[in-house]
Amino acid sequence: MRKAFSGLWKTSGYFRFGIVSISFAVLMFVLSFFSPYKPMESFVVPANLPPSLAHLFGTTSRGQDLFWQMTVALRNSLLFGAVTAALSRVIAIWVGMYAGYRGGLIDKAMMAVNDSFIILPVLPILLLVQFLVREKMNWFYMASMLALLGWPYDARLIRAQVLSLKERIFSETAVFCGMPTGRIIIKEHLPYVMPIIFATTINNFLWSIGLEVTLSILGLTNINNASIGVVIFWANQHQALISGTWWWLAAPVGITVFVFAGLYLLAVALNEYIDPRTRLSMKAVAA
Amino acid sequence: MKRLWLAICVLVAFGAVSLFADIDPNKEVVPGVKRGDTIIIEDPTPGAAFSNPDSFNRWSCWAGGGGGWSYGIQQLGLDTLWFIDPDAGIPRPGVSAKDQVWHNSLAAAKPIYNKDYTQMTAKLRKGILWSDGVEFTSADVKYTVETLAQNPTMIFGSSFKVSIKSVETPDKYTVVFNLNSPNSRFHRNFTVRWQGCFIMPKHVWEKEVKKPGDAITYNFNPPVTLGAYVLKDYDKQGKWYLWERRADWNKTTIADFGMPVPKYAMYLTDLPNDKKVIMQLSHDLDMVHEVTPEGMVQLAKSKNNTNWFQGFPFGHPDPTLISILMNNARDPFDKADVRWALALATDVVKAAMGSYNGAVQISAILYPPTGTSRKYYFDPMQTFLKNFTIDAGKAGKIKPYDTTIAQKIADAARPQFGDQVPKDPNRIAGMIGQGWWKYDPKAAAALLEKNGFTQKGGKWYKPNGEQFKIILQNQGPDRPILQRLTTTIAELWTNFGIETTAIYSQDDGTNRNLGNFDGYVFWNIETWGGHPDMSYFIEALHSKFFTPVGEVHNGPNPIRYKNAEQDRIIDDILKTDFDSQKNINLGIEWLKLMVKDMPEIPLFAYNVFVSQDNTYWTGYPNYDKPYANPVTNWTNGRYIFTQLKQMLPPKK
Amino acid sequence: MSIRGVLGKSFFKYLAQRVGQCVLVVFIGITLTFLLPRLAPTNPIEMKIDQMMTGPMRVYPEAVASFRQAMYDLYGLKGGLGEQYIATWARFFRGDLGPSLTTYPRPVSHLIWRAMPWTIGLLLTTAILSWLAGNLLGGLAGYHSDKRWTKWVELTANCIRPIPYYIFAFVLLIVFCFLVPIFPSSDAYDRGVKEGLNLRFMVSVLYHTFLPALSLVITGVGGWLLGMRALVSNIVSEDYVQYAEFAGVRKGTILGKYVMRNALLPQLTGLGMGLGTIFSGALITEYVFGIPGIGLISYRAIVSFDYSLIMGISMFSIVGVSVSVLIVDLLYPFFAPRVRLQ
Repeated sequence: MRKAFSGLWKTSGYFRFGIVSISFAVLMFVLSFFSPYKPMESFVVPANLPPSLAHLFGTTSRGQDLFWQMTVALRNSLLFGAVTAALSRVIAIWVGMYAGYRGGLIDKAMMAVNDSFIILPVLPILLLVQFLVREKMNWFYMASMLALLGWPYDARLIRAQVLSLKERIFSETAVFCGMPTGRIIIKEHLPYVMPIIFATTINNFLWSIGLEVTLSILGLTNINNASIGVVIFWANQHQALISGTWWWLAAPVGITVFVFAGLYLLAVALNEYIDPRTRLSMKAVAA
Repeated sequence: MKRLWLAICVLVAFGAVSLFADIDPNKEVVPGVKRGDTIIIEDPTPGAAFSNPDSFNRWSCWAGGGGGWSYGIQQLGLDTLWFIDPDAGIPRPGVSAKDQVWHNSLAAAKPIYNKDYTQMTAKLRKGILWSDGVEFTSADVKYTVETLAQNPTMIFGSSFKVSIKSVETPDKYTVVFNLNSPNSRFHRNFTVRWQGCFIMPKHVWEKEVKKPGDAITYNFNPPVTLGAYVLKDYDKQGKWYLWERRADWNKTTIADFGMPVPKYAMYLTDLPNDKKVIMQLSHDLDMVHEVTPEGMVQLAKSKNNTNWFQGFPFGHPDPTLISILMNNARDPFDKADVRWALALATDVVKAAMGSYNGAVQISAILYPPTGTSRKYYFDPMQTFLKNFTIDAGKAGKIKPYDTTIAQKIADAARPQFGDQVPKDPNRIAGMIGQGWWKYDPKAAAALLEKNGFTQKGGKWYKPNGEQFKIILQNQGPDRPILQRLTTTIAELWTNFGIETTAIYSQDDGTNRNLGNFDGYVFWNIETWGGHPDMSYFIEALHSKFFTPVGEVHNGPNPIRYKNAEQDRIIDDILKTDFDSQKNINLGIEWLKLMVKDMPEIPLFAYNVFVSQDNTYWTGYPNYDKPYANPVTNWTNGRYIFTQLKQMLPPKK
Repeated sequence: MSIRGVLGKSFFKYLAQRVGQCVLVVFIGITLTFLLPRLAPTNPIEMKIDQMMTGPMRVYPEAVASFRQAMYDLYGLKGGLGEQYIATWARFFRGDLGPSLTTYPRPVSHLIWRAMPWTIGLLLTTAILSWLAGNLLGGLAGYHSDKRWTKWVELTANCIRPIPYYIFAFVLLIVFCFLVPIFPSSDAYDRGVKEGLNLRFMVSVLYHTFLPALSLVITGVGGWLLGMRALVSNIVSEDYVQYAEFAGVRKGTILGKYVMRNALLPQLTGLGMGLGTIFSGALITEYVFGIPGIGLISYRAIVSFDYSLIMGISMFSIVGVSVSVLIVDLLYPFFAPRVRLQ
């Protein structure tokens, strides 16, 4: 593990940046529990102050300390993304693998449903549902909704991988030797499927946070619950662009770009590592 | 370093804007129309540009921007019998101050009722011409009423169908309305306060409208107007409408006040907040209807800017009262003590800061503190308010009226607005208000305890053991300031111990109308503004219009408040002459009853941050010269045009 | 690549399958969009009543009731859910998308017709542009993967890809409309310019749509670029490419004729599917930059609970997307011999 880490650190700039970005996100996450203010409470500090030592990111027009608010916002956004990604992994893995292994009519039926879901325009549907159930919408429901809309593409990828694995010689050998299907799946195939699951997880994670940010900016989620999108929403409400409180927009946008790009680059680096072909070429470079 | 950055950004923005801003009265707004001759106005109707831009049928609810009528058609193109000014009205020789607010527009005199208010007669003016040269006569009024009554989906249609028995026109300049039931305020239908029943040109409509359904879909395009302007051109996407002054403007009723000065008027629709501010800063937008407090602060920095107060608190107070509506049909809001406790737990200074940044006009009574209401209602009630006492159980008998609140708000606003906030207590009272209810959490707690509530671990519990939680609703991003206000109040009450959540229902009022709410930050009290008569809102508060929770109520009583004393007062008002002092006294009686019962918590006037740019036109109304309401979408706004001065006439 | 070679029995089975799926998707989609708005606690009629009933008009409950009844009749919303559902399908087969409830009696098709050119114009051009640019850059990057500049290109693509589109568009807006005000921040063309085939109008449109187009292209390129690069780097190690290189064939020819040609196929499928989603409209782009396209109209329709408009737009986009996907799926066997065999 340590060798892998130090190897990656030496060779991959992406990895370095990603680790820095993750460390930052983790730091903010931990700090959020020490915030001296309740996240959305207003008028606890003087309003509209630019960034300074007393207020690292400045203060908002609603009298909130932006730095502490962002720690909580980041935490909530990350948690949301994690829950959605986890939920949709469950669905995607189950559907992909089951369809791939069963084959036949069940496979065709599941893929038909899958394809229908792919075609659905996600944003308009979310908008519609948000309007219908806004009062009862809490972030867990929303995470579930996004999970329901986010699995199809990945399920297909997993299924494709499973299909190709089934044909491989070592699989047929295992069946021939009498290995039970369950063991085949878990011991032989899963290691091949994991890289795909991992890659799609990060993508799904970023996609769901991105959607949450978009919906919040449009004002359609619970705007009293701090998240990155909600902070931008309130900044727009108070016309931060016009009134010169640029830090109110710069902080959430900057943090989003930094954390998202970092996570993605990290995923790319890890992907290259996991994929045996690229890892070998990396080892060659390191040696 | 950060300050430098900020300065650079702001400078670049302003610098760039001014680089792009060129003041040139000769540049063409559309081919053939010069900037110096045109006044450019914002039409605030949202979504206007995607709906029915080709329809000028003001009586159909789908005209213009899907129900928007403020692109000039009602302000400049149409007319009706009487107008009441929301503010003070234009001073005229020979007219007393009290009568200034009233204008006999298409009518020659005030409405004449018979003894039992079952018949109203209107005498019409002679010599008023439609834009195609035909004279306006009583036939037009009769045609309008009958067409509307045949089509209940048109504006005023269903109410005319129900209330009018017949319309007679004994001669060309007299209309007699026979009503189905006594109504001493029937003339309201033809009196403009934002809108009224405008008159259709019979000779134009009867050519196109053959059967009843036609009137709904008839586009009335191009409109034949009765106002001083005609339509010159418009954008097919609905983004702008251009009106030109008629050559025969002196044959319209606005001529009573002189010539409308701008030769052209252009209304722009669907302008996003940021764009409005930038356009006005670059002198491309003369009248802005409404901006956020932050936008107002930026606009006020420009040297050609004027706004209602010429400085803090900037906004024009509309005769609409924002309050915290409480559902009187729902436990525990059916108890007056609980409602009072909530009022005393509301720190109105914080509420003012959290919504309008302090730029408010407060009202302690159920009446918007605007127009002439100070004179008629607020001043006479000060003694009563100061002496008003509540029995707050353990906290004793308290006098909750606090006359220092306005000062506190001014002080809270001073860090942001500096010297613009007045220091003189009289000016503060005039601009912010005379007083509100004290922030007294101890008394609030005592009132709750008196009614069986208990407090455990900082949270309040109802007498039945349930935790006292409130869901406070509002209407979301289309009303951003109310949204901020709701969030602030929710915080205040939660800190007091009542767990309050602020949510918003983008349902345009369904929850309110059905009674599906605990609390709702909105308004139900709207008044004439200039005239003290309360009938504009009070009639439908009578219990005969009461609907229980679950049934839709489309009136001013979503709070489901019933009171026999209130009924008596309303019946008396409707029997009293519109212009009498007795009418005002009855109004004061009602207001006192509302103070005792507190069925809803009054807060502020609906402040509209209206802003004008004086580069091309000047002479707009303001606090010192309140001759009209400066908002751009009210029909009453037409009077402004007669008082303006052209600053940069273009070369001929 | 002979057509006769493709049209075997298996092809017709495939055709039937895909068409059947298309029909299924359309059916499910339309049913969903019929049901969902009607589940709302409010409806466009109540909203209209609220708008209309102010001041002196609201006094008579009978008047309100009369108004409500008349509206239900007008909108065709009377009758139970079942009746309305069947009526919707009847209209669908007649090609009539119904009247919009907020702009009665203007039909939904009219609104869509007016908005489509903006969306199609914007999305079609940007989709094709970003596909071309992305594949070109990706191909070059994949082939010359040892050069320095490819690393920079990849880095940029990787950094832009994960950013939520709204944030990216918003940053562009802030920078180029506020900080350094070069571009207008909303609308598709200047006010005061009349719509029509005149030069002034077209210049104005280009000026206004440049920034939204730019945002779409930049965010779109990343995906194609990385995809192409991955494909190319796989192909580069294939025998026939190596052989061509040893044989001294010009690099440009190898890249063009050998490498990219083979890599383009999967990318073409992707483009086909991507083009299909044009019908959903780039909602966020239109919202941020104020372009009056399908996306903005659907947002407005949802906000005002205009059942008909929501249904109309959904019908239109579902059918559009499904049919495009179907066409792409059907054409695929003609271009990919390997697929045919399955």
